[in-house]
Amino acid sequence: MDAFASALGAVSDPFTLLAIMAGAVIGIVFGSIPGLTYSMALALVLPITFKFDTSAAVGMLLGTYIGGMTGGSVSAILLGIPGTPSAAATVLDGYRMTRNGRAGLALGGAVLASGFGGIFSLLVMIVSVDLVARLAIQFGPVEIFALVLFGLSTICGLAGKSLVRGMIAGAIGLLLMTIGLDDMDGVARMTFGWTPLLQGVDLLVAMVGLFAVPQIMKTLIDYRLDRAFKLNASGVRSELPSFRQLRNSFWLMFRCSALGTGVGSIPGTGGPIAAFLAYDHAKRFSKQPQRFGKGELDGVMAPESANNAVTGGAMIPLLSLGIPGDPATAVMLGGFLIHGLVPGPMLFTHNKTEVYLIYLAIFVSYLTVVVFQYFGIRGFVKLLKVPPHLMAVGILIMCGVGTFAIRNSFLDIYMMVGVGLIGYLLMRARIPVTPIILGLVLGPTLEREFRTAVIMSEGSFGVFFSSPTAVIFYALTIAVIGFHFFGQMRDAKKTRDAAGGDKTQQQGAN
Amino acid sequence: MNFNLKSLLLGATASVFLLAGLNAQARAEFPEKPVEMTVLFGGTAQTIGQLLADLMSKNLAKPVVAVSRTGGGGAVGYSHVQSTAADGYNMVWNSNSVSTSHYRGNMKFNYEAFTPIARVSVETPALAVSADSGWKSLKDMADAVKAGDSKLKVGISGNGSFTHLTSAALFDKMGIADKVVYVPYGKGKAPVELLAKRVDAAVQWPGQFIPHQQAGKLTILCVTGKDRIPQLKDTPSCAEAGATDLNITMWRGLAAPAGTPADVIAKLQDAAKAAIASDEFQSAADKIGFEASYLPADQFGSLIASDDAAISDLMGKLGLKK
Repeated sequence: MDAFASALGAVSDPFTLLAIMAGAVIGIVFGSIPGLTYSMALALVLPITFKFDTSAAVGMLLGTYIGGMTGGSVSAILLGIPGTPSAAATVLDGYRMTRNGRAGLALGGAVLASGFGGIFSLLVMIVSVDLVARLAIQFGPVEIFALVLFGLSTICGLAGKSLVRGMIAGAIGLLLMTIGLDDMDGVARMTFGWTPLLQGVDLLVAMVGLFAVPQIMKTLIDYRLDRAFKLNASGVRSELPSFRQLRNSFWLMFRCSALGTGVGSIPGTGGPIAAFLAYDHAKRFSKQPQRFGKGELDGVMAPESANNAVTGGAMIPLLSLGIPGDPATAVMLGGFLIHGLVPGPMLFTHNKTEVYLIYLAIFVSYLTVVVFQYFGIRGFVKLLKVPPHLMAVGILIMCGVGTFAIRNSFLDIYMMVGVGLIGYLLMRARIPVTPIILGLVLGPTLEREFRTAVIMSEGSFGVFFSSPTAVIFYALTIAVIGFHFFGQMRDAKKTRDAAGGDKTQQQGAN
Repeated sequence: MNFNLKSLLLGATASVFLLAGLNAQARAEFPEKPVEMTVLFGGTAQTIGQLLADLMSKNLAKPVVAVSRTGGGGAVGYSHVQSTAADGYNMVWNSNSVSTSHYRGNMKFNYEAFTPIARVSVETPALAVSADSGWKSLKDMADAVKAGDSKLKVGISGNGSFTHLTSAALFDKMGIADKVVYVPYGKGKAPVELLAKRVDAAVQWPGQFIPHQQAGKLTILCVTGKDRIPQLKDTPSCAEAGATDLNITMWRGLAAPAGTPADVIAKLQDAAKAAIASDEFQSAADKIGFEASYLPADQFGSLIASDDAAISDLMGKLGLKK
């Protein structure tokens, strides 16, 4: 308990508290601006923390990470552009809610779900760090491949009316990510011998291109044609979720948080996978699945609780094994090491105080994030009063700056514009964008794990059926696709039957 | 209000001219503007780069800014720096990757496109196995592999990566080169795979193994330099343990585009030397697990050249050269 007391002492030091809160606010700002991410915020904060003592440095890094993870929902909801890849699933219903004039409710739901997911995963981490770490390392290439394959099956739920269009979109996403240097064999793919293309397509660049550019183009075209979507600005209230709504969504948030913690603890997976799986889960088990995609609060709360639960989940392998789960945690690992905190099994025996310090800092970060964002909602929704065509110009500039800043590459700006133009054409062809994102996010992991598994088995494909865990995921994948397929057939039949009789039935068919 | 704004603008303009004037007085004093340090990789390479930039800034008139240009196994960043003016305002936080990227065919130019500034650090790969394997020494492992029917699965960072070349040279010396399967993992995952026993051995950086050795899960058999390293005083070098004459270490340092004037290089070299000697850098080295090891420009240059020849030779043998 001494260790806890001294950790509490360290965290309650005004400077440390300020550092954590400042980190959280910086994270939210970076997370909520499309194109700027928390990985970037962490890289910028890191040199500042060199001069701090351990508690302030660790606190600030954690605050930035957590703030960034939560902040992504703000632009996803208000602008329809996810601030971070993890918030891509939040756009689906969050932006719809904004268009329906319920931005405040969506933002409020998102921040409360985020806080819930974060604290949930923190508790799981405190209680069972050893157990979860042991389970997580059982996920080898075969199991991760199977999990990611299952993740891809959620394309069914996101494809909308046409599964074929969804698959086309998914395949475009998978292919885009093969451009560049392949890390496993060190060979260049689809670069046409041109060195700048070796850097490949950055996930964030593609995402900004796909979400922001088509929408900006549409806004500007609509403005010229004078058919702009008019949001009744005076009607935007900072409505917040009621206690009853929260109670109704409690179990959903609970399940999605558990899912997020689990996915987060497996190195090499991460926020976007967790968020899409959670969204799909919420839709599948909802009493009113037809309301998803049209502005359903549960469609915001599910991915937001899951992607924030990833933070606690990702801390498990980071702290207990010293394995960073993603680029952001890799930057944090560097910061921890500089201050003499060596993550790994010995951390929990040698550095008890620092471990408690980390727990407390995470807690304070979430508290800051929830309070800041909750009270910020009234301010955030004011953004909607800015005329959309003016806003579009501002967003485009931010996206340009942001995509450049990821790795200081001009090519990335052209890439964003190029991907954006393709996105606009796809939108006109009624090909949904979200499955492309899923392909982008999951493609590299799917490929890498598949190849690693085959290398390890020295070329035998039987290895993919050697693990019971993997087989369960395959079964789930087949079940999801099967249900979707038969569901569509049934709906199609219903529509045909109904076409002769009652016209109102058709509404159930999508 | 209007008036205030005007006077503010006037003041700002005046101070800009004043600053410009001051700068002109101090002309010929390199650097007159911030120096950009291109960082090629994320993770600890980025952390060390940022710290080095921070410390070098204290010894120069203008700050050194670490700018991340990752991707293409370093090729993207090298190509950027190589294409900039040779005036000392662009340098690259480089490593042996300049040779591996070139021989893999991802960069048309080689190390000669850069002028060395200073070597900053040395990292020595280590070979580890699971503690449950019962292998206590490099010989134990080699004997078991020779006697067994199955191949040894070795986790590395990527085909053609530095850890791959190191392992290939090591297993070649131990006479088991044809009984090894290399499993490439990106992003530092090899130690977990070893903990989960999906691979039999891994060659990675010592910092990734040490906490697990302390916890009794892994055994570090040897380090691949000719000498032992400070963090692992009880672990033999692979040369001591049976891989005669093996001596492979990875350096990191700074280089500028070829043709950068010698006086500018000397200034940067001295700033790097002072940064490396600082307590902050030394303590970071201990904590992160690398050796801070300064080498002046000329000696660094000959090291780069000799390592390049060795890497070329090794990659040729492994059939990785393009």
